[in-house]
Amino acid sequence: MADKASGTLYAGFTKELENVDSYFNSSREGVVMQRALWDGLIYRDPITNEYKGNLAESWTWVDDTTLEFKLRQGVTFHNGEPFNADDVVFTVNFVADEANGVKTQRNVNWMKSAEKIDDYTVRIHLKKKFPAAIEFLSGPVSMYPNEYYAEVGPSGMGLKPVGTGPYKAVEVVPGQHFVLVKNENYHDSPKGQPSIEKVDIRTIPDVNTQIAELFSGSLDLIWQVPADQAQKLEQMGGFTVANESTMRVGYVSMDAAGRSGMDPNPFTDVRVRKAVNHAIDRQAIVDNLLKGKSQVVNTPCFPSQFGCAQDITVYDYDPAKAKALLAEAGYPDGFETDIYAYRNRDYAEALVSYLSEVGIKANLKYMQYSAIRELNMKGEVPFNFSTWGSYSINDASAMVSQFFKLGSLDDARDEQVAADLDMADTSTDPATRIEYYTKALQRITDQAYWVPLFSYNTNYVFKTDIDYTPTPDEVLRFTTMSWK
Amino acid sequence: MFQFILKRLGLAILVAFTVSFISFSLLFLAGDPAAALAGETASGEDIEALRHLYGFDRPMMVQYGDWLFSALRGDFGESYYFKLPVAGLIFDRLSITMTLGVCGIAFALLTAVPLGVAAAIRPNSLIDRVALFLSVAGQALPSFWFGLILIVVFSIKLRWLPPSGTATWQHFIMPTIVLGYYAMPAIMRLTRAGMLEVLSSDYIRTARAKGAPEMRVMFKHALRNAIIPVVSLAAVQMGFMLGGSIVVESIFALHGAGYLAWESIGRNDLPTVQALILIFAMFYIVFTFLADVLNAWLDPRMRSS
Amino acid sequence: MSDAMTDPLLAEIVGPTPGQMLRRRIFGHQGLLIGGTVVALLVLVAIFAPLLAPHDPYAQSLVARMKPPVFLGGTWEHPLGTDHLGRDYLSRLIYGARVSLLIGLVTAVISGLIGSVMGVCAGYFGGRVDAVVTFLINVRLAMPVVLVALAVVAILGGSLTVMISVLGLLLWDRFAVVLRASTRQVREREYVAAAQAIGASTPRILLAEIMPNIVNNLIVVVTLEMAHAILLEAALSFLGLGVQPPTPSWGLMVSEGKNMMLFEPWLVMIPGAVLFVLVLGINLMGDGLRDVAAPENRS
Repeated sequence: MADKASGTLYAGFTKELENVDSYFNSSREGVVMQRALWDGLIYRDPITNEYKGNLAESWTWVDDTTLEFKLRQGVTFHNGEPFNADDVVFTVNFVADEANGVKTQRNVNWMKSAEKIDDYTVRIHLKKKFPAAIEFLSGPVSMYPNEYYAEVGPSGMGLKPVGTGPYKAVEVVPGQHFVLVKNENYHDSPKGQPSIEKVDIRTIPDVNTQIAELFSGSLDLIWQVPADQAQKLEQMGGFTVANESTMRVGYVSMDAAGRSGMDPNPFTDVRVRKAVNHAIDRQAIVDNLLKGKSQVVNTPCFPSQFGCAQDITVYDYDPAKAKALLAEAGYPDGFETDIYAYRNRDYAEALVSYLSEVGIKANLKYMQYSAIRELNMKGEVPFNFSTWGSYSINDASAMVSQFFKLGSLDDARDEQVAADLDMADTSTDPATRIEYYTKALQRITDQAYWVPLFSYNTNYVFKTDIDYTPTPDEVLRFTTMSWK
Repeated sequence: MFQFILKRLGLAILVAFTVSFISFSLLFLAGDPAAALAGETASGEDIEALRHLYGFDRPMMVQYGDWLFSALRGDFGESYYFKLPVAGLIFDRLSITMTLGVCGIAFALLTAVPLGVAAAIRPNSLIDRVALFLSVAGQALPSFWFGLILIVVFSIKLRWLPPSGTATWQHFIMPTIVLGYYAMPAIMRLTRAGMLEVLSSDYIRTARAKGAPEMRVMFKHALRNAIIPVVSLAAVQMGFMLGGSIVVESIFALHGAGYLAWESIGRNDLPTVQALILIFAMFYIVFTFLADVLNAWLDPRMRSS
Repeated sequence: MSDAMTDPLLAEIVGPTPGQMLRRRIFGHQGLLIGGTVVALLVLVAIFAPLLAPHDPYAQSLVARMKPPVFLGGTWEHPLGTDHLGRDYLSRLIYGARVSLLIGLVTAVISGLIGSVMGVCAGYFGGRVDAVVTFLINVRLAMPVVLVALAVVAILGGSLTVMISVLGLLLWDRFAVVLRASTRQVREREYVAAAQAIGASTPRILLAEIMPNIVNNLIVVVTLEMAHAILLEAALSFLGLGVQPPTPSWGLMVSEGKNMMLFEPWLVMIPGAVLFVLVLGINLMGDGLRDVAAPENRS
């Protein structure tokens, strides 16, 4: 039985984690494990967004593409290996080498190499100017023990993870079961000292089963609980239901550039794209389906991200206006198209229903993310309900620049937008960045390339004897949990 | 007899090869595995590199030959998702599916055989009608729905049984019932029909005429003869059952091979799915082969057909 | 007449005509009557869905989500409540009958065609044809249906057409097995030999002599396979790889209701129960038809 007396906290994961090695998975669960088992050089306080030293004590920009770090001394890995410059050099050089196949290349491919200055001083060389370097170093880039990693590699690290983090892994059954115990020798980290002795995590894919386990007392904490269930659990009492927003943004993209070979292609007409924007009651979807701290977003980025202006051009819910715009564009009776979606089938269904009210018959194609992405890269997706989590990076470049810089996923293919974004991404002057992001977002919304929909939220449900305040970055932090 | 077994064995092996080819080609058509492998952030070049690395750019028959040759040595490649050998992944989870299958078939036999016998002893009696109704109803009950109802009743309302997992034997009760009931109707009907036939045969009449006790006649003589086809049916059903455990395992969150199959389909993890289809098919082939041999051994008439 | 009743030989001669006997057997068979009535009712519901449904099954109202059915304190506005998007549950159930019956029927026709041709050819020609068909049946039986269907639907994307094609191409085995056996039996009869002797063409013999004598068995298998297809579609839709929303499929309704199963169990109970009743009805009908068509085979 799970309770305070046993000292063990039982938590449920929904998805099977493919590999605990944080460079070889791309899931939320992976980030949770990464923050518990490993440390980065830098740490970003999830509340104040202030950067603090973690494995590094301080850092300076030597030039535009070189960062120098003074490392913390006296830190040891879980296996007793001391942490020093060799570990940083090894880790950075390993992950930056594309041949080693790090799964989320974007997290690491901006680094060229690392160089040891002395035992506790390292330099990281960048491929080119990259203002978000500090953000990445405080997030997904964590430090691995060089000797151990050289020996066991990613699959060995996945089975027996070794880091410097606040928790050590004592049992790993891939995808199913993880047992973590408190690291008694954890260094004086800005993450704080762990309080809960032991964390036992099981993968239970079905939310109902998770809730049933919560009722029967064999789980203490579940997260990512859908809004309806969370609301019912809150009404029942006996559990703490905490809601936090996340950086994930839902959107509908349209084939404005006419790549999909639809003939005629209605989405190439700005009036049709505006009509789609007016047809969807985003506020009703937020209020009734997502609930919690979700909000309607008006631009293709998350409002807290640096450079993400919100109040530019806003399309309100107005089906009559939508119909008028469609008629003006030559579609008085609407048209038929396919809409692709990979998650939240209920939201997708709601969208389909709103569209059908103004005469747009959208046939839902519910497929795997990877399959839709592949089609989209080939330009074969006319209409796509998708989401983007920005890897929790608090900068507009992590979202808008991913989709509007003429890459294979860019359905708008607007040169002007791409040029503005390029200015914003590469400049180191905050004022210039804001100016150009705003310009780009202005053009995107005026042209109604997308329908930015809403931000997501996460519900955390746990026993009332657990003290925990979730953070807006959708990372479960065992280190900040304690028994009341 | 030897010739019969040889012939059946040859057929079984041929079937196995055909199934392996179908499962391989089926999933080979699944679009670009390299794009799936590369994940959210990959660029076009990343995907191209992966395609070459994994050999997706070779002709299909070459890839099949390669795969089959390794599979014959127990090497099913590496899971795209877990980056671990598929054989090990499946082996770990197969024990759960096997446990479930054995429990399921045992449950079906232990309920269906007595029912069938009772129904045959008193044809058209109340118990016969109940048994008949149960067998028709059983076939109509959607297993996913039945499983959910059991969870609501026994885990949530009554709190008697744990809703998911495999920690104790109690965890297996509901999955066993849900998996097993589907095989019940066929077994029940066959038992009943077999018993009816045997009971009307000459030697049972002789045994009765000689004044053997009724219970002895039933169990020593009649059931022993009627059970033979039931056992071989059970073997075939077991093969079906393992392939059908996907639904049950997903409802009760049993991390068995069926659940792995479902998840792997969703993750586009081709090597795992291919291996699982082949392994489930192999189970069926082996069980049917055993059933055939058993039948032929017990009933020489079968050998000629 | 009284003589006829006492003398068994006479009774056989002046007894009821085959037609009368059939009618008697049909109306004397409870299972067949119940099953037939259930199926007939649901077919009528499916045909007259637009007249019977109180609301548009696709009309959503996000402010009226998951309203309880009338027997759980709801209103007559939505007699069976509303689903997670505020759509009328009764209307979706009614239109769902169309989906289930359509899938069952078309699948049975496709798999029936494939399986019958294979079974009849194997049974009639024997020899090498039989060996090939038997081999194909074995291959098909060895493939785990749910797994293969899931994989194919995952690849092609779920839709009514894909669903029907996949099931149709997978569920022909029982047709082939049953028709192969019955054709073999019929082939041995004198009238087939007679037809062969007078030089009738093979297609003629198959259509005029064999088919009429195995059609009873075919009908029985058609009903049973319909039930099988309907259950499989529901299971695949439940696993999220069946027909696509917003199509009202009962399996999909169970799947969507499942999320709230612990709090609003009726969302799962209602569509599941209807599905159970339909499949039970079809099975009862199939069993009854078998008994009536071939009482000697009754087990």
